[in-house]
Amino acid sequence: MARRWRLFSKLRYLWARDRWQSEFNEEIDAHVRMLAERFVARGMMPDEALYAARRQFGNPTVLKETRNEMQTFIWLETLWHDLRYGVRVLGKNKGFAAVAVLTLALGIGANTAIFSVVNAAILRPLPYLDSGRLVILWGNVKRVRVERRGASYPDYRDWRDRNHSFAGMAAFDEAQFTLTGAGTPERIPGEYVSQPYFSLLGIKATLGRTFRPEEDQAPQRDAVAVLSDGAWKRRFGGDPGIVGRSIQVDGRLYRIVGVAPPGFRGLTDEAEVWAPFLMAGSAADFNERGSRGFRVLARLKPAVSLVQAQAEMDVISTTLARAYPATNEARAVELSPLDRETFGELRRPLVVLLAAVGFVLLIAATNVANLLLARSESRQHEMAMRMALGGSRGRLLRQLLAESAVLVACGCLAGLVLAHYGIRALMAFTPLQFPSYVQPSMDAGVGLFTILICCVVAVALGLAPAAQVRTAGFDEALRRGSVRSTGGRRSARFRDALVVAEISISLVLLIGAGLMIRSLHHLAAINPGYDPSHVVQLRVSLPELAPSGGPDADGKSDAKVIVAANDILQRLSALPSVESTSIASDAPLSPSSAIFYTAEGQAPMNAQAMPRVYFHRVSPAFFHTLRTPILAGRTFSEDKIHGNANVAIVTENMVKRFWPGQDPIGKRIKVGGLNSPRPWLTIVGVVRELKYRGLPQNPTADPDLFQVFNERSRDFSVLVRTFLEPAAMLAAIRTTLNQTEPSIVIYDAGTLEDLIGQETARPRFTGWLMTIFAGIAMALAMIGIYGVMSYSVSTRRREIGLRMALGAGRSEVVRMVVRSGMLLVIFGMLLGTAAALALTQMMATLVYDVSATDPLTFAAAAGVLGTVAVIACLLPASRASRIDPAVALRDE
Amino acid sequence: MSIEGKNSPKKTDILQGTLDLMILQALDALGPLHGYGIARRIEQVSESALELNEGTVYTALLRLQQQHWITAEWGASENNRRAKFYSITKSGRKQLAREAEDWHRIAGAIGRLLRLSTQR
Repeated sequence: MARRWRLFSKLRYLWARDRWQSEFNEEIDAHVRMLAERFVARGMMPDEALYAARRQFGNPTVLKETRNEMQTFIWLETLWHDLRYGVRVLGKNKGFAAVAVLTLALGIGANTAIFSVVNAAILRPLPYLDSGRLVILWGNVKRVRVERRGASYPDYRDWRDRNHSFAGMAAFDEAQFTLTGAGTPERIPGEYVSQPYFSLLGIKATLGRTFRPEEDQAPQRDAVAVLSDGAWKRRFGGDPGIVGRSIQVDGRLYRIVGVAPPGFRGLTDEAEVWAPFLMAGSAADFNERGSRGFRVLARLKPAVSLVQAQAEMDVISTTLARAYPATNEARAVELSPLDRETFGELRRPLVVLLAAVGFVLLIAATNVANLLLARSESRQHEMAMRMALGGSRGRLLRQLLAESAVLVACGCLAGLVLAHYGIRALMAFTPLQFPSYVQPSMDAGVGLFTILICCVVAVALGLAPAAQVRTAGFDEALRRGSVRSTGGRRSARFRDALVVAEISISLVLLIGAGLMIRSLHHLAAINPGYDPSHVVQLRVSLPELAPSGGPDADGKSDAKVIVAANDILQRLSALPSVESTSIASDAPLSPSSAIFYTAEGQAPMNAQAMPRVYFHRVSPAFFHTLRTPILAGRTFSEDKIHGNANVAIVTENMVKRFWPGQDPIGKRIKVGGLNSPRPWLTIVGVVRELKYRGLPQNPTADPDLFQVFNERSRDFSVLVRTFLEPAAMLAAIRTTLNQTEPSIVIYDAGTLEDLIGQETARPRFTGWLMTIFAGIAMALAMIGIYGVMSYSVSTRRREIGLRMALGAGRSEVVRMVVRSGMLLVIFGMLLGTAAALALTQMMATLVYDVSATDPLTFAAAAGVLGTVAVIACLLPASRASRIDPAVALRDE
Repeated sequence: MSIEGKNSPKKTDILQGTLDLMILQALDALGPLHGYGIARRIEQVSESALELNEGTVYTALLRLQQQHWITAEWGASENNRRAKFYSITKSGRKQLAREAEDWHRIAGAIGRLLRLSTQR
């Protein structure tokens, strides 16, 4: 009760403070006057009476202060005062404030930006229903090592029907659909999916419905489709009556049954249209147990763990292997959580970057702490004076804290602004492909993170000078009067320690960045076996030439495709500034498939050791266009594409396996087993092992085989070597292609270098961010060393003056200052090297062909940091050498 | 009597309590009074035994107001000056009764104690 009245009284005071004070003045006046009148009545002189009255009343100022304190929320008031004072003090030291705020903003901003990416990519759950229980099932095979292959439809059916671990299972596979009919033909990415796919992900159609169970029961029976929100809006103008309409896909009419919600692009993250899985092939295809290639999505039942489910699938695989040894020997199933499938590759670099950026913040905070310390020492006299005048120690501490809080708050705000633009820049320039739903932004989680680090920094920064207030001898500081304090030995040591810390952290970052740069150099220096510069690559599809999808029996449309392909080659080669043109079933670093083969005369082998080769069909000029040297034999002889020629060019690995030390030319191989009906292929040429399927390494060590292009598919890659900048040629190439064949669909156009760039996106992303962070760290460390050295020079003016008066030369003074600075630097570097040895292990998987303890990188980083440190020391040193002894000594 | 300070909380507490009690008693006995009147009343009843910085009364008055044991109102003094008059509230009377009882009990106890020690 009483408490409530007191609060009420105080709150009222907040409002009417001025009136309350003037009323009290009036009250005091009246009191004193009445008292004086009383004394006058007793016979005092009026002056004397007033004086006596005042004495009896007491000190009105103290009284007012006491009453004021009683009426206010004291802590709030003082906090407000401290903050205002803090702002004023910083306003007076604009240079100091600007450097400190900017430093903090850099550290906080970089942390917030990287954290927002981590938050979006790792911490937020995937945008699917209860995504933690979703797994991907990979069919794999044990060869030299375990390789992922995917599932075959009979396998999938058995997995689905025999398991007790999953609430549901759905096969899915990416596909390229050609949309024809109204308008220009368009190539759109899509997915073939089993019926439960959408419900497993928790995706509901915004319009219409998704597939019904009966629509995924017989091959090629139900031509129904679900459209993505984007395709619906772009191609059909968001027509609300779209459900029930038909579209022509791959030459067949599909009835649209529904539209997916905005943002959903399937697990491939690029699907614009979905069709039932059983539309993907013929009945025969779905009975091929050995034809594998798609993934399976499944949802674990609530009480089943991943390990339990894996154990059950292992049992099922064993059973299948026993039942179908020809196709299922050494085959197993690998369960992989969906989020690991999606972000597994990104996780490690992001964690390393977060650590790096944390170090940057550490250096930034250290720097500002150093600045604050130097300043608090020069303010020692002020502090001593205030304590002597009755300021309590706690009050001074609180004020120092408030000052650092003001600094950090400004730094935090500036950091948030920086982070806002940083995130945008990051996402705009990142070579990494994040899933489309990963959109880093400043959400509540990121805000909380930023506030948290700001609080930690504010407290740490406030405590540093506070420790000095505690230890400093104030009486001494006062007694010395205007003589500048040199700062206690203890505080000097503390500042030195901060510099050592900065140097060591910077070195760790520099070494990390150095390793990444070295790794990038190695990646760039890889010779893929072909020359990717100046090559345009694109894919074309000729749907009109073979409207019904699969290959037809009479081969007439094959002939048409070959005619069209020859036509394309001729016309493109005729373009000015085109050096060479060729056609291939697949361009380097694009998907291709492997087949088993048999070398003539080889011993019979079991399925696991069966030789496998990646099969590509290319036009005769292919190796010329890619500038791949022929090691032995010859290239394809004809300069035009023709029908089947049973000759092949293979890569070295095949030769090494079957004909080491022999002349491979003229040897024969055959696709499939020894008894397969396919014709023998004669090897006419050998090229070195190409990085055709991946960089820096091919995913498997299998060789590649090239046969003359006689493609049955209407889909192929076109490669054009140009004299000009290849990107600039793209438009002319497109026009020519459209003129050659009006129904042509062109997609995935770009340069070969772009494809290589995508392969190295992850190390480049990590590399350039690490380099930026290391650069910032080094700049901050340089400022730190510079600050500490100039401060120490300024406090040692007298000593240096004395030395010079006694005959020390300028160079000796310079050497003395640099030596004392470099001592710290060397100590910091030793510590940093030790830390780096431990920490760079984290990066071992991120670097290519560089040891995580690469001595050259360590030495180079130390060299760069050492040079920068010497420069930072030289400036204050030269200032010291210009001290005039007479002036320095007179000053004191 | 000293102005309350942070240095000697114990002593102040006792004096504070005493002063508060005297003010409440004065207002209860004499009705509404201004600060000057309260100071005179205390001077009179204590027979100047309490050396008082009269300003201290105002600290006590504010404290009592915050507890809502007294209220204040502007009015005219005997010689028609504007003055702030304080009067005791209902909860103030209850508090006075409580404090008076406490005081009597403690005073009685201390009195007995002192008598015992002088007899020996």
